[in-house]
Formats: sequence, structure tokens, C-alpha cells
Amino acid sequence: MLKIENKADIFHYRTLLFVLFFSISILLSRYFYLQVIDYERYSSKSQVNSIRAKATYAPRGLILDRNGVVLVENYPTYILTVTPYKLSDKDSQFKVISEITDISIEELNRRYKKYNQGRFLPTVIAKNLTFAEISQIEERRLELKGFQYKRFDERLYNDVLNDAHFLGYLRELDRESLPFLDKSQLYRAGELIGWQGVEKQYEKQLRYSKGVEYIEVDTFGREINRINENNIPAYPGNNLILSIDARLQQFSKNLLNDKKGVILISDVDTGDILTMVSNPSYSLDIYRGETSDGDWDSLLKDENKPIINRTISGLYPPGSSFKLITAFNLVEDGLLDPEDSLMCTGSYTPPGSSNTFKCWKEDGHGLVDLNKAIAQSCNVYFYETVQLIKLAEWTNTAKTFGFNFKTDIDLPNELIGQIPDKEFFINTYGRWGWSERGVLLNLTLGQGDILVTPLQSLRYINHIASKGKTAKLKLNASKEIEYYEDINFSEQTWQRVVNGLYDVVNVDGGSGWRAKQESEVKLYGKTSTAENPHGEPHAWFNGFFDLNGKTYSLVVLVENGGGGGAVASPIAGKIVSFFTDLNIEMAEK
Amino acid sequence: MNPFNSFLYGSNEYIGRLYLIISSLIAFGLLTLYSISSEPLSLSSSFSRQIIFILFSLLIFFLIGRINIKTIHDNSTLIYIFSFLLCLIPFFLSPVENTYRWIDFGLFYIQPGEYLKCASIILIAKYLSNHQLEVKEGYVVIIPIIIALMSSLLVLNQPDLGTAVIIFAPVLPMLLWAGVNTFNLFLLIAPVITIIAAANNIIFNIWALIMFLIFLTFQGNFIKKITIYFANIFTGLLFPFFWNDFLNGYQRQRFLDFLNPDLDPMGSSYHIIQSITAIGSGGLFGKGWGQGSQTQLKFLPVQESDFILSVIAEEFGFFGISIIMILFFMLIKTLLDIAFKCSDYFSSLVIVGLTSILFSHIFVNSAMTIGLMPVKGLPTPFVSAGGSFMLLCFIILALVTNLSKN
Repeated sequence: MLKIENKADIFHYRTLLFVLFFSISILLSRYFYLQVIDYERYSSKSQVNSIRAKATYAPRGLILDRNGVVLVENYPTYILTVTPYKLSDKDSQFKVISEITDISIEELNRRYKKYNQGRFLPTVIAKNLTFAEISQIEERRLELKGFQYKRFDERLYNDVLNDAHFLGYLRELDRESLPFLDKSQLYRAGELIGWQGVEKQYEKQLRYSKGVEYIEVDTFGREINRINENNIPAYPGNNLILSIDARLQQFSKNLLNDKKGVILISDVDTGDILTMVSNPSYSLDIYRGETSDGDWDSLLKDENKPIINRTISGLYPPGSSFKLITAFNLVEDGLLDPEDSLMCTGSYTPPGSSNTFKCWKEDGHGLVDLNKAIAQSCNVYFYETVQLIKLAEWTNTAKTFGFNFKTDIDLPNELIGQIPDKEFFINTYGRWGWSERGVLLNLTLGQGDILVTPLQSLRYINHIASKGKTAKLKLNASKEIEYYEDINFSEQTWQRVVNGLYDVVNVDGGSGWRAKQESEVKLYGKTSTAENPHGEPHAWFNGFFDLNGKTYSLVVLVENGGGGGAVASPIAGKIVSFFTDLNIEMAEK
Repeated sequence: MNPFNSFLYGSNEYIGRLYLIISSLIAFGLLTLYSISSEPLSLSSSFSRQIIFILFSLLIFFLIGRINIKTIHDNSTLIYIFSFLLCLIPFFLSPVENTYRWIDFGLFYIQPGEYLKCASIILIAKYLSNHQLEVKEGYVVIIPIIIALMSSLLVLNQPDLGTAVIIFAPVLPMLLWAGVNTFNLFLLIAPVITIIAAANNIIFNIWALIMFLIFLTFQGNFIKKITIYFANIFTGLLFPFFWNDFLNGYQRQRFLDFLNPDLDPMGSSYHIIQSITAIGSGGLFGKGWGQGSQTQLKFLPVQESDFILSVIAEEFGFFGISIIMILFFMLIKTLLDIAFKCSDYFSSLVIVGLTSILFSHIFVNSAMTIGLMPVKGLPTPFVSAGGSFMLLCFIILALVTNLSKN
């Protein structure tokens, strides 16, 4: 079929055959030597004892707050393991264990199956053995062949500050998750791994590096002798210092008390998050012992959703703070003179429409310029002015401030929210079911299809406080400062908006007057009252302030709390004064 | 004969024998995997996974069986370039276990380096089967070596020393098969042996003597021979000096780490010791299926792939390992028979190349388990667990079946 006849030479064929024969002979003779001539030696070696590599462990790194307060540490517990092939009578032995530990036989069997690593390797079936239990196991040692207790470090959480949301927790590895993990870390079933929060994010840093110890064991796997050669020591994990300030975190959490909501405080210059409260929460203590499936279920089904970290995974309409997006557009693009005043009569009727849109103040704000419109959060002013802006430009500006993107916080499971654009409206309402002018009336108030996370809102206020050159938000105090993409608005644009934010809190008639400080500290901010389909509006306060030459920002959100001015502002005010006192205290020390 | 049968058995009796041998090897492998899986019937066990891999590979086997050899011959350059580019893809993906060897498809990994081996062989075969080529001329060796070197360097950067070495394995047999001057072939391998021999003084002296005799035997320009001979001797003399004195300990370690990135943190000598103990304690007839204490107590590492022969040796003894070795011998011999009897030269050369790959895997892997070679993660054909390599073996089988039809 092809061009050339096979011209292989019988000599070459024989050469290769010889090489083959020769190589296989070498291999076989070596096998013969090992298995037949030297059999006695290896047979006794395999029977009497053998060297086994045993993993050794070191403690996981601690988690501290910025001032060195220990948030998460380790404490030793005892666990019970079972080696399947050594069991004499599994059912009756499990019954004994069940009597001693009070764990049901079904539960023991479930764990036995779940963490099984093979007939010859120990499987964990009980944790947190008390000394009473250990001594009982020791007493009935003869009945319990195949069972063994050993030390196992677990996490111990700070009594007061054990917020599950950013700290996260550890989980035992089961066999199903093993194939998806970094193989270089040598994970084994039954070991603990960071499963949420910073425990997950900084798993590599916190995790110890496993060591190896060589021991001689007999055919039953019993340890005979330690060989102190070639051992590789285990090293403890590195500590993680968070940017969180425990006192501030604690104070903020107490302020929210039984309200659902979020409080975030950050250092604008570094991006450090000083406080991250998401309420309601749950205590990490549930990971300490044996948590029954029922407890878990009620936690998962709780309609207040305590397991969700609202700061990064809660989605809310932002409300009036988005009026600033319109304001930035107007001033930066020179669409109107900020000094020009419009008349607010309490309602607005778009040209050629019969619908009337109301201002929150029924008898109107009278003559309103940009400053007053921001300070008093006048709807009519923004209804009228947003008509000068195209939808695409408006959504673009919102995205410039990081909405619809992750903030890149060092936590897993962050959501990006939603900034609706033209495509979204076409997909949702059909080609003719909406109009650009109409949706903008909603968007400019931060309502209708916009969803943001509180952390995005914090990033937004940081952009304004730092005039566009903004450090990325982070929880790890030692992480190097990175920056978001610069927002290049003119100095005048930033100043106009910041002036408005000043008036919100500090000038009579401003919507955030309840946050005004008695001290010298000047708070800038914006209140929002975000209507939503789930009941009362969400109350927001986003703001920033300068203290001792540094700039700090905060976001307060009370879910279904009511008005931003009435509910969120006082909380913000209290936080800032507490922070001020704290700072003075620190300075005096 | 109906078309299905003619596809299966080809036009000669060797193909039938080939399938019989391979089926036995696969059966032996599965038997062993069953014995070391704690729950062989669960989907995550290496036993069930192996069955799935085999079924999938069979599918690919039948697909490749449909490709015309002429298409392969005419597009060999294209096939090579394609495989080469495929090997570049992992460099743009995130590393898997700190190397750039794999492309992650979610459910399974593909190691494109495996396919570059085949592609290099096909390209070299096409070059050597060209009827205008004067095979007796010395320059003929240059192009095949460049092809192998290119592939090898790429794979070395992934880094994957095992595959990089295996890519070179077919070059020598193929050149020999094509009738290249034997002395030229000797010149090719001499420096490599020199460097290795330099590790030991006595071996080096013996090697110098052998080399001297060979140089005497072959005809050729006297001055040229003398120059090459002494170049070899000097390389051998200088290498230990370079290694010991020129590089400091840290650099040597870096170099060794680069060559052997999958060095187990528990130490590779530990592997060898455990493997040899397992093999030796197997004795003449082994400890019985599922009864190997070294295997079952997990003393033996990576037993389902790299050290599967040690498991066989422990559980089935010298008797079992002899059967495996005889099967391997017959496998390679049958392949050489097919290559020899093949009517077409290109096909014949490709089969020799593919056979060399299978053989080098067999040899390196077996030699490793008995401590004759350093630990390298190379699986045994048709016996070891592992999807990517099993697929390669079936692709080789499909190509051989196809090529033998002439």
C-alpha cells in the first residue's frame, strides 16, 4: 500500500530479540535471587518486624486579633480509633463502646463506615473522650481489642468573640473529599481541614507541616522500636494575625443585639477590616463537641439564617446611597451646575407620563441644589437629574465603584450582587416591557433589581473617602496592601459629593443628624432606607471619619429595621464615639 | 472472514496471539487490584476505576482502528506538531502537584507527554522509511535525534524526567532496524555510558577497555577514532570532578530535585526497602491472593500503580512473577514478529518504536521494584492502575493492529 517494501534484516530482528531475552533474564534472575535464594532473610524480616513510616503532627497556627488577643487556639482532646482487622466481635464490642461513651450503635457504625481507610488502618469513631471514659476503656482493654485512644488537637475559641462568620471552622476530612485536595499537603481521612472563613482561606499558612517518624512494627502493626534515623520533624503552622479589633467587634455586636444586620468598620488607608459583624450568628462552640444532627438541622433551617455571613453573602437593595452614583455622573460629566437649584414640590411627573413619583417628604424640600439634595436625600432632585444620564453610563459608574464585582476580600464564598444593565432588562421584562427613563427613576434611588453586599458598600464608601485611590479590603493584617483600580474623577467632583456627605450628618435637616458627634470628630455619611419585598425597609448608614490623621469608614445595616436616619444613624454615631474614646485611651497609654 | 473478525485478528495469526497475551496481562492486573482494594466494588476503588478505564480505552481503540495508515503516514508531521502543542497547554494552566504534566478534564487527567512519544515515533519512522535516504551515511542519525531531543526537552521542562528518557528509548532500536551503521550507533551511546560508568573506578576501567576493543574492531579513519576515544575518556574523567567540586551541595540537590520532583517526602529508599522486603518474602509460590502482609498492611507505597509488580511478587511468589515476565517476553517478541513480517517498511518501523516504549516501561518499572534503578513514577503496561497510561497502551495496540494489516 505504501511506497516501500519492508527491508528489515533478520540480523537486526535477532539483535533486538537478544536484548529482550537478556533484559528479561536479568530481571528474572534478580527476582529469583530475592525470592528463592534470599527468601529466608526477607521472610523473617517481613514476619518479625518491618519499618513503617508514621506521620507526626504539630499544632495548627493560632488566630489573633490586631492587638494580639487570641481568638482561636488549640486544646488537646482524646479520640477513639478502631482498626477493622483487629476486631474480634464488632457488634458486641461496639455495644461496649456505646455503653461507655453514650454514642448510639447506629452512630458508631455510621462513622465507622464514613471514615474507613481500609482494613489495616485506624478509623476515628469517637471524639472528646473524658478521663472517666478513657479509664473505663483501659479497664475493659481485653474486651476491646482493636480499639485505641490517642491525643488529637482541636480548636478552642475565645469565649466572648467566637464569631463563626469570618473565623470559619475546621471539619474532618472524609474519603469523598480527599481527591480534590492539594496532594503535596498529604491529607488523610479523619484529619481536620479549614472549611470556612479564614480557616479555609489561610489553610496553607495555618496548617502544620507533617513529619515522618520511622518505627519498627510487627506483623500485627504493633510498635516495637523507634528508629531515630531519617526522621522528618513536624512543624507547627504559622499564626494568623487578623486586622479585626476584638473590642470594637464586641462593642458593635452588642449594639446590634437581637437585630438582624451587619456592621463593618475599616481602616481606609490600609484596607484593614476592624470589625465584621453579621447578626444573627452562632457560636463556634458547636464544633467543639459532638453536635447532634438535630442541632445542625435547626441551625440550617432557622429562618433568620444565622449561618450566612451577611457581609459577603447577603444581598440587599442599597437605597439612597446610590443617589451618589447619579451625583458623580452629573458633576464629573458636567451635565449640570451643582449650584443650580430645582424645585421639589413633593412629587415628580415625568414629561409625557401620567404616573407621579413621590418624594419621601410629602410637602416637598422647596429649592434644592446638589448639596441639599444629598444632605436631605431628596428624591425629586434625582428623579429630574437622572433624566440627563444614559442607562449605560449610569451602570458603568456603579461598576466603577466595584459593584457587580468581588471586593477580593480574603474570605471564601463572596457574592457579587447585581447591577442590572440593558441586557438584564430585556431578558427580564422583554424588549418592550420597560423603558430606559423608567428604570433609571428606580435605579437612582438604589431600588429595583439592584442588589449589593454590605462589603461592596464598604468598598464604595472607601472609594469616596480616599478619592479614588483605594486599598483593597482584607482581614489578614500582615497581608501586603494592594489597591483597587484607580477611579480618576476630578478633585472638584469628589469634593462636591464629600461636602454633601458632611451636611448629611453635621447640618440641620440632614438625614443622618442622629449620628452627629459631640467630640471634634467629623463624620461624613449617607443614610439609606431601602424598600424591599420582605417587610420593613432595610436601614443603612455608610460613612467615614478622620481620627488622628487616619481615615476610617463604617457601614451599618439593620435588616428590616426601618428608616436609615432613625435606626442606622444612631448606631453609627455610637460606634464612632466609642472608637474615638478607644483611640484616646490608646494614645494616653 | 467477516469484517469484524478481520479487524480483530488482522490478516496474520500474530495479532490473535497478541490479544491473548494482553488479555492475560489485564486479567492478572485486575486480579491484583482486587486483592489490594479494601472495597473493590465501590466506584472509588482502583479496581472499579481500572475497569472503567479499560472500557473507555477499548472505545478509543476501536475508533483509532478505523483510521487508515496512509492517513497517519501522510500527516505524520501534523500529528507531531499537534501533540507538541498539546504538551504546551499545561504550561498555561495552573500546575497539578507542582508540575505541568497534566491537563485537567475534571473527571480525569490527560498527560499529553504520553502522546508525544507516539507522535515522535511516527515522524521518525516516516523519515527513516523514505526510499531516497542513504541509511549507511552517518548523518542519518541526526534528524531522528533532533526530533527526540525536541520532544524530550519539552517534557523535561514539565518537568517529567521519566517520560523524557522514554522518548529516547525508541531511537536506537529504530535506527538499528533501519540499517544505520552499527559503529555510528555505538558512538551515540558511548558518552552516556561513559558518564554513568564514571561513578565507579573499576567499572570505568572495564568500560574503557571494552570501548578500546570496539574501536579496534571497527574500520574507519584512525585519527578520528583516537579523537573520539579520548574525548570519551576525558568526559568520564572530568564528570565526577565537575559534579563533586564545581557544584556545591546545594546546587547538586537542586539539580537532583529538578530531575526527580516526585521524590516522596517519606524518602525513596524507604520505598525500595519495602518493595524488596515484599518481593523477597513472597518466596517461590507467594503468600496467596489477598494475603500479602506487606501489601495489605500498606507498608508498600503506590502499590496500585508503580509497585504493582511487588504486590504480584509477594502474593503469587516467583511462580507468579515468572508468568508475568514470560507474558511480557511473549508480548514484546510477538510485536517484533509482527514488525518483521509486516510488508510495509513505515509500518514496520513504527511498530518497532512503539514496542520499544512498551519494553522500556516494563524494564524500568520492574528494575525499580527490585532496586536496580532509582524510583521513577513509570507504570507497567496493561497491569498498573492508571487511566492516561492505559489509554496510551490501547492506542499503541490499535496502531499495531492497524499497521499489521498490510
